[in-house]
Amino acid sequence: MKAWHRYAITIALALFGGTAFAVHQVRGGLNDGRVSNGPWETGKSFGSVDAGTLTRAKVALSGLMALPAKEAMYFTATRDSDGRALDGRCTYDVRGGKLDGRWWSVTLYEGEGWLVKNAANRWSVPASAVTADAQGKWAFNVSPDAQAGSWLPTGSVKAFDLTLRLYHPSADVIKNPEKALLPVIERKGCA
Amino acid sequence: MMRRWIFPILAGGLVALGAYQATLLATPYALMYAALQKIGGAGPANRFAFSQMATADNQPIVRPSPDLSYSTCVFDLSKGPVLVEVMPVPGRYWSVSIFDARTDVAAVRSDRDTQGGPARLALMKMGQKSPAGYEPVLLGYDRGLALIRILLANPSEFPVVDAIRRKSTCKQLPTAN
Repeated sequence: MKAWHRYAITIALALFGGTAFAVHQVRGGLNDGRVSNGPWETGKSFGSVDAGTLTRAKVALSGLMALPAKEAMYFTATRDSDGRALDGRCTYDVRGGKLDGRWWSVTLYEGEGWLVKNAANRWSVPASAVTADAQGKWAFNVSPDAQAGSWLPTGSVKAFDLTLRLYHPSADVIKNPEKALLPVIERKGCA
Repeated sequence: MMRRWIFPILAGGLVALGAYQATLLATPYALMYAALQKIGGAGPANRFAFSQMATADNQPIVRPSPDLSYSTCVFDLSKGPVLVEVMPVPGRYWSVSIFDARTDVAAVRSDRDTQGGPARLALMKMGQKSPAGYEPVLLGYDRGLALIRILLANPSEFPVVDAIRRKSTCKQLPTAN
């Protein structure tokens, strides 16, 4: 084997391997090695010039045109509060209190971030759709079947995620998203 | 025998690192380019397109919010500054954000910043001049996207919000000659 054969082999493997590893990491979801808060994960530098090359690539794939934190923070959950993967054939209780920002909504997505077809034509629960009690506590269901009260249909997809958008979050939430009071996601049962 | 492979493997390691970094660096430009083609493909540059609300059957971008009304202007600064004027919608969160070709946010102005007034931005490159009354936003690339988000508490608000947002404009600054 000539020397250039050896270079050709290693360089071809390296080009393929380096590119494939980058694609694998970018496609690995937004949540690796990021700020966690219960089942929710977020990043501190969406859409900003501070974002590293990997974060920027991941956001470009899964959250193109995301707003910076001072406008909105995006918290994504792929698991329930017990750590089990969210499954569209199960029913969940999402319960929270007053969130520390101007407005919020929770949207259900599948795959890299697509709204799920469902008979109710409902894809999100905004703050205005829940009724808070005297302590500010509220709840809604996430379920494949219609539920009493506020519910978010899963369309019975195998896997989904919930994205909580908090508009004009407080300075505390921007600084310490891991300490923000966020909703719990409790699995009630599966079909 | 093995010694013959030391330098090819070292070279391969460097190439792998380079390919990894190059792929990460290129990803935002490539995805933004694809998004601009998709969003701007429907109409001319430097003009707002007023999208319908996102539904499972209408998802122009990934991870759309079904609570927001989106209006988009694919801008091109190669022939001079582009002026963006956004009409306020009273009592709603709304914002206009300017994204460059690398997906970075060059500017965001929301109703909180304008205190109920309109947002007036002049998108321009170094060396271009902004007209009076517009806040200059400097960009490093010719192309990018201006995106207006208006939050609806309820889908029934759409007709009222739609009428107001259609007064917002995105236009090439007329040349002096």
